[in-house]
Amino acid sequence: MTWNKIRPYLMISPAILVFSLFFIYPICYMIYLSMHDWNFVSPEKNFVGTANFTNLVSEKEFIEVMQNTFVYTALTVSLTIIIALILAVWLNKSGTIYGFVQGAIFSPHIISLVSISMLWMWLMDTDYGLLNWFLNLFGLPSVPWLTDPSTSLLSLAIVAIWKGIGFNTLIFIAGLQSIPRDIYEAAALDGTNRIRTFIKLTLPMLSPTLFFLTIIGIINSFQVFETISIMTQGGPINSTNTFVYYIYEYGFRFFKIGYASAAGVILLVIISIFTIMYFRLLARRVHYQ
Amino acid sequence: MRKILFAMVVTFIIFMSVACQSNKDEKNSSSDKTAKASGDKVEITYWYAWGDKIGENNEKLTEMFNESQDEIHVTAEYQGTYEDLHAKTQAAFAAGNAPEVTLNEIASIGVFAKSGMTENLTPFVENDDINLGDFIPGLMGNSYVDDELYGLPYLRSTPILYMNTTMLKEAGLDPEGPKTWEEFETYLKKLTKEGEHVGMSMPAGIWFYEAFVAQSGGQMISDDGTEVEFNGDAGVEALEFWKKIEDKEYVKVPEGDEAGDIAKQDFANERAAMIFSSTADLSYMLTLAEDNDFALNTAFMPSNETHAVPTGGANMVMTAGLDKEKQNAAWEFIKWMTAKEQTIFASKYTGYLPSRLSAVESEEMKELYKEMPQFKVAVDQLEYGHARPMEEAYPEISMTLQDEILRTLLDEDLDPQEALDTAAEKANGMLQQ
Repeated sequence: MTWNKIRPYLMISPAILVFSLFFIYPICYMIYLSMHDWNFVSPEKNFVGTANFTNLVSEKEFIEVMQNTFVYTALTVSLTIIIALILAVWLNKSGTIYGFVQGAIFSPHIISLVSISMLWMWLMDTDYGLLNWFLNLFGLPSVPWLTDPSTSLLSLAIVAIWKGIGFNTLIFIAGLQSIPRDIYEAAALDGTNRIRTFIKLTLPMLSPTLFFLTIIGIINSFQVFETISIMTQGGPINSTNTFVYYIYEYGFRFFKIGYASAAGVILLVIISIFTIMYFRLLARRVHYQ
Repeated sequence: MRKILFAMVVTFIIFMSVACQSNKDEKNSSSDKTAKASGDKVEITYWYAWGDKIGENNEKLTEMFNESQDEIHVTAEYQGTYEDLHAKTQAAFAAGNAPEVTLNEIASIGVFAKSGMTENLTPFVENDDINLGDFIPGLMGNSYVDDELYGLPYLRSTPILYMNTTMLKEAGLDPEGPKTWEEFETYLKKLTKEGEHVGMSMPAGIWFYEAFVAQSGGQMISDDGTEVEFNGDAGVEALEFWKKIEDKEYVKVPEGDEAGDIAKQDFANERAAMIFSSTADLSYMLTLAEDNDFALNTAFMPSNETHAVPTGGANMVMTAGLDKEKQNAAWEFIKWMTAKEQTIFASKYTGYLPSRLSAVESEEMKELYKEMPQFKVAVDQLEYGHARPMEEAYPEISMTLQDEILRTLLDEDLDPQEALDTAAEKANGMLQQ
């Protein structure tokens, strides 16, 4: 009898152990550090209460970082989903060509982000890049993709969209294929036109998928790091500095762990809100279906 | 569902045990290897920054050290740029597996020493009666923190002016280079040909800015380290000059972490006639010039009120908290690497300064200077060398200042004084923390 009670706990104990060691403990430690002034190595940590947080929110640079992160997320998530949805509707057919295109647009998803960043850096080089060479070929002026504050964030968003489309399209196709055929037949019998069918039938039936991709996209975009670290280092003039890179910069370049942890706590809160929202609404959706 | 869960747990356990196992194997095999290779030698690790010629130089010197004696075996490991190296050293130190010997870019000596990451070298020097007077005095300014010695000059540099003399001659200019800012502007003007090449490709780097400020008779931070001075007359004059030559499109300002590399690329491709760069790039640049078939000369940075340049490069340091045996091994290595013969080797191999007076006066260097006068410029310029600021907040101040400088260069309406005041206000806050 007792064995039956203990067994499930025993079974999940490795997972719980790893989870607490690598998730719960670091989170608690980060919250603890966010209330201290520390440089990572000196033996004493000075307790400063909420000073790190008040400094953060009064820092103009941090406000810019928040703005950048939100703009980047909005751009990346909305465009990825719109483009992926269009592609999915187009590719949701059988045939070698469609299979090939599906595979081709999915391939960026499996390439390491570091390689992708290097590749795009080369493509987007202002003077020697392939993109500008192409533009010049048609008599268009060169675009300072990564070197001008007004275009740099957009350029990074383009890279993220290019990488994200394949995965999103695949999930959308799966979603489309799980919609029962018979409701389309019913709609066809009623003589509904294609656009109306899409808006009134496909979109609502696809809404759980849409919702899933939006939330996952938002959470991922909030944590963007590799492309920034490799392509722009947050520059020029702070124009591409986002949350995670800001944390890295303060933690590992300026040795201000407390300050960086405070930014980490704020990021944690924002992402938690999205996660909770996701599970709440998802629960309702599942019920509805 | 339960079955799936069960399967997942089992897979997880297997995975973990395999991972641990392979970890053990790795440790065993690697220690086997080193044991075979080195017998009872003391093993130490040395981290360095930069690749190409500089990386080769580090690897070669380490190898030579290993062959020169049989007590100590050093493993040299490449870590990227100075910033990467610093970040990794700090993280490794916090985790308790820092390398025994590493490099500190000279403006970061203070940060590392004050936070207790590097060892005070004063007792070692006293025990060993090393002649510190042999190091070029201008290079020692960034070695002391609170009057204690924390690093010895290793690969040291100053920025110098690199010129494509083939282009200079075409434009009818003296290949000896511009002497003053005024002449410099004339050079830039004559060397700019729209759509083909600009006079200079110059990243808005703080190192160069320090030079221009010092040339105008100012400094970055007050002597007592309590407030910044770059928003004074000298700093404003420097930035106004930069803005002027940028507005007239005589210079291209590459941006980002790769800005230095972009500038070198522009120079190599003859899209820029001149660049400022570290003397460390000299031997690399000479090969580039040869490959691209143009003549290369070097000169002092031009002067305004006076000649001045910041020194640069890295000092060699020992990490703190080693046991006696490792400390001695690390000290032997540092001593050897910074000795006369090795500084001559490094200087010839890369273009870095020879860091010892006896090396500068050696027959070997004299011969090189006769053959390749380009190598001598940095040594002569050292007479006007300044130490870099070493305040703990300096890396952060640099970034803030660099952003403001770039903003001024890009935005025509932004007044240099105003931008520098903004940066100064922030920087003073950082200094007082």
